[in-house]
Amino acid sequence: MKPIDRRTFLKRAGIVVAGSAAVGFATGLGVKSIVRRLDRPWDEAAFAPPGRPRVLVARVASYESDLETIVEDGLRDVGASLGGRSVLLKPNLVEYDPDTVINTDPRLVAATVLAVRRLGASSVVVAEGPGHRRDTPYVVSASGLGERLSDVDARFVDLNLAPLTRVPLHSRFTELGELWLPRPVVDADIVISMPKMKTHHWAGATLSMKNCFGCVPGRIYGWPKNVLHWAGLQEAVIDVASAIRPDLQIVDGIVGMEGNGPIDGTPVGAGVLVFGTDPVATDSTAARVMGLDPSGIWHVSEAGRFLGQADPELIAQVGEDPERSMTSFDVLPVFEDLKMGSASGGNGVGPDGFG
Amino acid sequence: MRSLYERAAEALDRARSGDAFGPTPGAEPEPEPTALAAIALDDEPARRWLAGAQRGDGSFGLTAGPVENDSATGLAALALPPGPERERALDHILSTPARKVPSDPVAPHDPSLAGWGWAPGTFGWVEPTARALLALRLLRPQATGVIEDAVAFLADRESVDGGWNFGNRFIYDVALPPFGQTTAVALVGLHGIHTPGPADELVSRGVDALRRLWPVERGQLTLATSMAAFRLLELADAEEVEIVLERSMGGPVPDMVALGWIALASGPGLLELAVTS
Repeated sequence: MKPIDRRTFLKRAGIVVAGSAAVGFATGLGVKSIVRRLDRPWDEAAFAPPGRPRVLVARVASYESDLETIVEDGLRDVGASLGGRSVLLKPNLVEYDPDTVINTDPRLVAATVLAVRRLGASSVVVAEGPGHRRDTPYVVSASGLGERLSDVDARFVDLNLAPLTRVPLHSRFTELGELWLPRPVVDADIVISMPKMKTHHWAGATLSMKNCFGCVPGRIYGWPKNVLHWAGLQEAVIDVASAIRPDLQIVDGIVGMEGNGPIDGTPVGAGVLVFGTDPVATDSTAARVMGLDPSGIWHVSEAGRFLGQADPELIAQVGEDPERSMTSFDVLPVFEDLKMGSASGGNGVGPDGFG
Repeated sequence: MRSLYERAAEALDRARSGDAFGPTPGAEPEPEPTALAAIALDDEPARRWLAGAQRGDGSFGLTAGPVENDSATGLAALALPPGPERERALDHILSTPARKVPSDPVAPHDPSLAGWGWAPGTFGWVEPTARALLALRLLRPQATGVIEDAVAFLADRESVDGGWNFGNRFIYDVALPPFGQTTAVALVGLHGIHTPGPADELVSRGVDALRRLWPVERGQLTLATSMAAFRLLELADAEEVEIVLERSMGGPVPDMVALGWIALASGPGLLELAVTS
């Protein structure tokens, strides 16, 4: 299977920028925003050049594996430095359905708590502001997260209720200008975004950048964080992720979700964890593991212009090769073009070439 | 042994932030938990704080830059005594329905029905609509057309087998399941509608859904809003929910909105929300 080459990536990213005009109209953003998008809607001084970030793809057969050691090793391999730092883990915990796999697996979250402690963190909390449920304790309990956190003596913080602080935005993909974010997120030395590897019915895929939506408090932005949807979903993904800038990412792809994600999709065993220090690079790699072309995921390719590294050739890939680790995730028909090897994908590799 | 209401009221009082109430014990006051506590405790200082927190446009809520969440306005109107503040809050509700959005095969809905959103200029959702509906039915019943539209909105957004998700009925042809808390809040808004036909059936299906949901979704906010709905509907299920809620009161309640609903559902304040005609 051929990896995406740089020329293809840049070509397709360019197509997506033009195509985003339709997204802007659909979400009520209008011409002004499109013009800004074609410009450079971010403060250059606020974002360092992304360089060549390390991203690790680790094969993990099941949640019964020694996750604590795998996570500890994975964080070391991407150069995480946690000694003496306060750490906030942000798993994906949207709502609960016993018949599918919406949320980051609680076993992985608990193992990460232990691994982070082993790496010398001064403190670790697990925090989330569920987007589809106001009754957070119900979701924490029903999902099994509460019990797992109790096992490792870790505290859960409901970000929908936490005290807030104003954070001016240094990117302007939406017209929000500022976000009011929970102080535990802003005050943590290290934020680790821990998404579930899922397809997304509006954005193509939901990974470490989209997972940052859970940091945005429902008591201001509503349930399901609808104000952000009105600001433009993918535009808001970029602005929120660039405000939070998660320091580390661990994508739970041991079992992911394909099809009509992020809620009503189907479990798919991808058998991987993806570790990184750059959310754009991590999401770009995780998309490839899902068999999706990252240059076709608008928020990833746009964020690759300033927030992080989206170009596969400029990502220092360690561990497993993303293409060799690929599990081709089914997508809704509207996202068929995202699949690597699709007719319009430019890779020239048909569906039979996956995996 | 102290009653559930006595325990909840005591916990609320301990957790107050000066005259008012924040989202967590001792946190900076906010309109939603303060309005709930003001009704539940018949609390004059909380009412005074609310009156002082009213915005120039009559609304209550949280401001975050360009985002002005005004979804607490209905609850605040219900908490305020008769007077100009309450009338301005009701005027705000009537003047700020949600944005009407063309129907879309991906998320089909009746585009003629707006409901209310979490913030002006956005889509309508079940919870803010149910609050606005209750406030209008109790305090501005002459707004019959708007009230009928709000009921129709909730009927349009009803889950396939009854009850309510947070506001969509289908996404990509998938029927969204009802949630306990949103179903309970919708029933609080709809209780007391006794017109033979669709509205009655809507409530009846919602009650059936809530009876399936609350025994599974045992978070305190779900239980408290479920108990409030059952009590307002004069259904004995409220007693079963109360028993479970009692058992859940062993530790601190971190969510002051949930605690406000517990005090409201179990105490005399709920009568203030009862629509009797």
